[in-house]
Amino acid sequence: MIEVEFNYEYDGRIYKMKVEKTKDAYLITFDETTYTVNATEIKPGYLKIKLGDKIIKAVISEGNESKFVFLNGNVYNIRRAISKGRKIEKEDEILSPISGKVVKVEVKEGDRVKKGDVIMVIEAMKMEYLIKAPYDGIIKKIYFKKDEQIDMGVKPVEIEKEEGSKK
Amino acid sequence: MFKKILIANRGEIAIRILKACQEMGISTVAVYSDADAYSPHVHLADEAICLGDPSPLESYLNIPKIIDAAIETNAEAIHPGYGFLAENADFAYACREAGIKFIGPEPEVIELMGDKIAAKKKMEKAGVPVIPGYHGERQENDFLVKQGKKIGFPLLVKAAAGGGGKGMRIVHSEEELEEAIEGAKREAKSSFGSDVVFLEKYLDKPRHIEFQILADEHGNTIHLFERECSIQRRHQKIIEETPSPVMTPELRKKMGEAAVKAAKAVGYTNAGTIEFMVDGSLNFYFMEMNTRLQVEHPITEATTGIDIVKWQLRIASGEKLTLKQKDVSQRGHAIECRIYAEDPANGFLPCSGILTKVEPPVGPNIRNDMGIETGMEVTAYYDPLLAKLIVSGENREDAIDKMIWALSNYVVLGITTNISFLKEVLNHEAFRKGEITTHFIDTHFKDLFAAKEIPFEALIALSVYDAMHAKPVRKEITALPTSDPYSPWKRVGKWRIGD
Repeated sequence: MIEVEFNYEYDGRIYKMKVEKTKDAYLITFDETTYTVNATEIKPGYLKIKLGDKIIKAVISEGNESKFVFLNGNVYNIRRAISKGRKIEKEDEILSPISGKVVKVEVKEGDRVKKGDVIMVIEAMKMEYLIKAPYDGIIKKIYFKKDEQIDMGVKPVEIEKEEGSKK
Repeated sequence: MFKKILIANRGEIAIRILKACQEMGISTVAVYSDADAYSPHVHLADEAICLGDPSPLESYLNIPKIIDAAIETNAEAIHPGYGFLAENADFAYACREAGIKFIGPEPEVIELMGDKIAAKKKMEKAGVPVIPGYHGERQENDFLVKQGKKIGFPLLVKAAAGGGGKGMRIVHSEEELEEAIEGAKREAKSSFGSDVVFLEKYLDKPRHIEFQILADEHGNTIHLFERECSIQRRHQKIIEETPSPVMTPELRKKMGEAAVKAAKAVGYTNAGTIEFMVDGSLNFYFMEMNTRLQVEHPITEATTGIDIVKWQLRIASGEKLTLKQKDVSQRGHAIECRIYAEDPANGFLPCSGILTKVEPPVGPNIRNDMGIETGMEVTAYYDPLLAKLIVSGENREDAIDKMIWALSNYVVLGITTNISFLKEVLNHEAFRKGEITTHFIDTHFKDLFAAKEIPFEALIALSVYDAMHAKPVRKEITALPTSDPYSPWKRVGKWRIGD
């Protein structure tokens, strides 16, 4: 018998799964319930799973950082959770929402900005996206110039938050 | 008929045109940028010419490079597809100068219709109704702001040379107006090379309904009925259908006649589309003419049985339109969904990455026009349209059910797509009832974006998959510092093989 545990992360939540493989079934424990399923991988990535009188048909493929599960026309992008409760500080971050070209930088280093002020304009696939200040502050550093390429999830500028500013 | 043509486009539309050529026995030349070297359209063509650098200006928008490619390969004609150079009059002029047939209308007509201001004036003269607005030449921000106040809010700021929602802003109040004008000008400049904008009244319960036109070079012009294209996000269509649920035989006749009149007024030739806005009281206004093949042309093909691309080729080679208006009829109902690499939950922002698995739905009356395949990389250089899914049924209800089935069986993994979102729209009660306007997505935002929990079946499927693929390894190997830090075996308690 093999027993393994997986910690999955989806949409900021962690799901703990325990899988035991017996001779002809998988016992999956999740949320204090154990499900007994029969499963076959029909062709690579295509699973047919029998759970009681229910049939689950799923297609799974592996990306670089996560796996994609296709089920009933929906796709779930699931990561392996990192065991040490790593917290993602979302609120205060200012990140480029897209990979594209910087077409306009609206601020200089040292400028004081108010929440909602436009800091940078990024163009991708012929559309413009505005990067706005998430809070009041002072521009400490600008990492990108006009016409430079910026990647998704990269910090375009450093803003020092002003005391007393509300998020 | 031509012996060989060049297709100056990429993705699904290049493939659509390539296949029509193959069926007609026409040799094909594809062009591609470095980023598309392994794209399906390159494989499919008889010859392929590399345009180099992926940036659109250096590749698919580069007129001299494309003309040279056509000359080098002895192509007699160029099909521009849609987007890129399809509505670029300079390109059509360059083709003419090089003695290459441009598959589309004459450059003078593209130029006239491309200038949305001049086009509206022309249509007004021809007796086709137009929307109130400022379509003048003065472009100073102060002046435009004044005009905007006169028209009233909400209003639209649109690029004069625009299309496809690029360089377009909707403005709800005076305070937003100046920034919107600046943004639209900038976007227009970088997309179309011209920053002239105009202002226009925003209609109540507006629908976007367009008419497909076919016109030959011998004075025959017909329409192939309407397409309802009201479901839009970021002012770009995502779901189109025909017939329109709001259409009556009388309105269809009136609008069809207006469309033919509009096309004739400018001496239009080849396939084109007259876009109208229709308000809550079924008044219709000419919005613009798209002087090219339209993304959503397949729904017209599905209901009329007419192959629009083949007619484009025949018309361009000088053949007469043998179809008469009275011979054209519509049967059943067709819907198209545009599959985009974008995240609806994140403001419909485009996504890029590797497609780890692609498997489109197949079945009766399901058509897939695709530019993607498993393993392909989707880059940020071009439009995020991945594929189009077209279904037809005996009636609207039947077509909706089929589309929902098809979307539910459409596997695209590796990149976030709008497939689930499209399904939400089709499943929405208001859509079923045909109560659609161009504001549909904003109006029903809450229903369409309701937060969803992950079903436990997905977690079970993944854990079974992971258990199947987790190979037991020897202890000393797992202890290596280079091993996978996420390996489940790091958290394995006691285990043994066998019982």
